Amino acid sequence: MIKIQGLQHTFAIGKKGKERRVPVLKGVTLNVEKGEIVAILGKSGSGKSTLLNILAGFMAPESGSVKVGGNETTTLNEAQMANFRLESFGFIFQNFQLMPGLTAFENVELPLKIKGMAEHERRKKVQRLLEEVGLVAVADHYPNELSGGQQQRVSIARALITDPPILLADEPTGSLDSETEGDILKLIRSLNQSLGLTFVIITHDEEVANVAHRQYRLHDGELVKGEKRHAI
Amino acid sequence: MRFNDQFDFIRQHMKRNKLRVATTILAAMMGCAFLIILASVGFGLHKTITDGVLDNQLVTEIQVPGKETSDEKITDEEIQAMREIDHVIAGVKRSSPDAEAVAMLDERKGYVPAVLVDFEEEQKAGLALSQGEMPKSENEVLVGYHFAKQLLTEEEQKKVDEGEEVKGFTDNVVGQTFKLELSPYKEGVEPATWEFTVSGIMDEPAKDWIVNSKIYIDDSFGPEFNNKLALGESYNEILVYADDLQNVGTITKTLKDEGYYVYSVTEELDSMDMFFTALKAGLIFVGTIAVLIASIGIFNTMTMAVTERTREIGVMKAIGAQPKLIQKLFLMESAAIGIIGTVLAVISSYGISFLANWLVPIIIKSSLGGEEGMDDVTLLISVIPWQLVVIASVISIGVAMVSGWRPARKATKIDVIQALRQEL
Ligand SMILES: Nc1ncnc2c1ncn2[C@@H]1O[C@H](COP(=O)(O)OP(=O)(O)O)[C@@H](O)[C@H]1O
Ligand SMILES: [Mg+2]
Repeated sequence: MIKIQGLQHTFAIGKKGKERRVPVLKGVTLNVEKGEIVAILGKSGSGKSTLLNILAGFMAPESGSVKVGGNETTTLNEAQMANFRLESFGFIFQNFQLMPGLTAFENVELPLKIKGMAEHERRKKVQRLLEEVGLVAVADHYPNELSGGQQQRVSIARALITDPPILLADEPTGSLDSETEGDILKLIRSLNQSLGLTFVIITHDEEVANVAHRQYRLHDGELVKGEKRHAI
Repeated sequence: MRFNDQFDFIRQHMKRNKLRVATTILAAMMGCAFLIILASVGFGLHKTITDGVLDNQLVTEIQVPGKETSDEKITDEEIQAMREIDHVIAGVKRSSPDAEAVAMLDERKGYVPAVLVDFEEEQKAGLALSQGEMPKSENEVLVGYHFAKQLLTEEEQKKVDEGEEVKGFTDNVVGQTFKLELSPYKEGVEPATWEFTVSGIMDEPAKDWIVNSKIYIDDSFGPEFNNKLALGESYNEILVYADDLQNVGTITKTLKDEGYYVYSVTEELDSMDMFFTALKAGLIFVGTIAVLIASIGIFNTMTMAVTERTREIGVMKAIGAQPKLIQKLFLMESAAIGIIGTVLAVISSYGISFLANWLVPIIIKSSLGGEEGMDDVTLLISVIPWQLVVIASVISIGVAMVSGWRPARKATKIDVIQALRQEL
């Protein structure tokens, strides 16, 4: 499903002219199969987010190749990449990234609006999904009227609404307490099992990584396979 | 994204910043209204003056005072040729003998101009009577509407000299026979007298300040006057009449091309049009400056909107919105500000224009102390034709979109990673 090969990226840090070159990714290679949950662990600043941002097409790598479903994405232009994201990825962010001016319902509806789906059709679809993730009661709440766990559920629903094959999560439980974290991890696992969705989860937390089928550790710009392979 | 969703989207955004959007719309409205009102004064003056010109003269009348190429008089053959031009209904020659004319009726006497005309052609040109009928014999004449009033007794003449009003001859002048004495301006020639009978009185002139006390005599008398009095050259007025105002321009051109001096209402209007077109363009230009000042407000508002929504724009892009869509949404928002401002401006401009046209003449009249003769003057301070509305709308909506352009571009350039990193 996802094939990353020889991915390299270097940041230039500091003032122009005297910048320091900091290699963050030094040839990362990773394969993710369909229906798999893969976790990428690493200390803060190890380059996990950079890896995910490149995979998502938010930035271009210095070199290397990223193939998603057989398509090379590093050569797409901005507009093509936007389309590709709309079709292939759902995003779960650490701080949810909900639109403050939209209700839970409207937040989930937003990607379908961008896609251009007709109103009656998308309303049905959103309603059904909200039922599935247990958000019907708070559908007309605004994000600031929701708990952290509820907000993350809304954001997961928004990621799922376009039926993307792949979900990318950057520290999905980073802003949640441990009890709510457990709920979200359960939800991720059940979505993986019932819908066969592929997950790439980035975390610094071993606990969270345990939800994955396979774990990798990013260290010194290189990706090494985690010791334990967790069976669910 | 569907258009109605885009529409909803910007409406929601505008609602969230009601006050800021409202003040920006207000500024856009004031700029556009200023432009419309300012230019409308130009249109109003133009209309007032054009209407005045069209009102004060017979608009289908074309005066032909002479030839450009020589000092020779226009001959009867040439007048005949003018009559044959397309859309010309009549070509008349009115010649005033080179002599002073005095009409005498019993003991009454009046200094009245005598004119030799061709009655048949005058009728084609639209001559109309208020009383009596057209002359049937040579000794019958028509007189102007004010002719009788000019026939004064000696006593009355004294009163007039002292500045008093007199009635003149009050009986019906139709059927009366009077003596006409012509005294040539050339010295050494004795005056001569003829007798004429009034067969009809001309219509009242269109404007109450025009006085017509002329005597219209059949032009067959021309040779007789000349023989008796050895008159100098008469003064000829040559007039060509068009069937319709819209043909006056082409007839004027034809006559000019043939080498005549021509004067018609279109001549006057053309030179006025040029002046007023320049005036209007100047006023629109000055008004546009107000619109440009308002556009700074739109630019600021949109730049702030983009900055404020950086994170949201980042999210939109992250979940797959095209940069084009982002740009379009912001452009639509600035266009919406421009459109709403313009619509309000047009409505309020019509209101202000209406008020000005109602109030200003009242103020002028009262400051002139209710002088007479002002009543039939329609003074238009401000006129807003649809063309002005179109021009002002295009300018102010166009300027709104141009000022929203840079902020919208900026929105598309927002970096997703940076935007998502922003604190909530
Ligand atoms: N836009 C950037 N410019 C310069 N340096 C950056 C930029 N983004 C990240 N870095 C650096 O790259 C390294 C990896 O960052 P990141 O991928 O965010 O790490 P992680 O997500 O693992 O905490 C850090 O040292 C960070 O300072
Ligand atoms: Mg990170």
